Amino acid sequence: MLLAYRLPRDPSTPRSALWRKLRRLGAAQVLDGLAALPLDARTREQFEWLAEEIAEAGGEATIWVGELASAAHERELAARMAEAVAAEYRALIADAAAAARAEVPGRRRRTLGRLRRELRRIRARDYFPPAERERAQQAVAELAAFVEEPVG
Amino acid sequence: MRWVTRRHCHVDRAACAWLIRRFLDPQAEFVFVDDPDEVPADAMPFDMRGVELSHHDGDCSFETFLRRYELADPVLWEIAKTVHEADLADERYDAPEAAGLDVLLRGLSMVRDDDELLALAAPLFDGLYEYANARCCSGASPPHDVPGEGRKR
Repeated sequence: MLLAYRLPRDPSTPRSALWRKLRRLGAAQVLDGLAALPLDARTREQFEWLAEEIAEAGGEATIWVGELASAAHERELAARMAEAVAAEYRALIADAAAAARAEVPGRRRRTLGRLRRELRRIRARDYFPPAERERAQQAVAELAAFVEEPVG
Repeated sequence: MRWVTRRHCHVDRAACAWLIRRFLDPQAEFVFVDDPDEVPADAMPFDMRGVELSHHDGDCSFETFLRRYELADPVLWEIAKTVHEADLADERYDAPEAAGLDVLLRGLSMVRDDDELLALAAPLFDGLYEYANARCCSGASPPHDVPGEGRKR
């Protein structure tokens, strides 16, 4: 599914709000003004609200449902989206490992809360789960076990 | 009055329907359609693209209802934060309970049709209202064991 849009350069607030929302949804930017997401009821509804917001901000937006003519290009796009979330998972794994090694117990517990929330956010935009998903869940679970261990 | 919205209701539409019945139109009748083109002429549409009572300026439809009907009740705005995050999860508000509400309603929508979903969601929102009301007024967590509280109607 594609969101084709045009937004005026000024003011810049709606542009950056749109950029943040597309990023949160995990949309792939195909071209400037063209974003893609796998189609399901939720993503479609989210694109529709974004299209509405774009129109209200003085821009234009249309939603297209379609497929890539080339299977290779489709794999490439899916791989690109998978790699984007894989990088986020890797950062999270590194954070979890660093917290397990270095932090004092109180801070470690807060870091665990933050990483759990972060993991939920990434999972919500993980349409083509990479191997890193399992590892990230494992890393957070290990940090949790560490936090629960009696100190001393 | 007849109100119309999209089929397969989720949290925002369920919350709006509750708001309509409880605060705007106790006799409200709800109709569900697949496409905006099917909206009956005598019905008021909500939570659909291109209509007044829908998402605007980053607000979800529930927030739009509160603005358009000038419902200034702070308790309703507390609920609005939860509904907004359950619907959009854009972190405009800090509403950790939103994730739970989202899951509960998503699950319900898998086992019930739209009419039943709205009927089951209504007491849930009544309860949320009482809970938020207790928290708003006292500034503390509501008591856990006050029998009969919240059964005013």
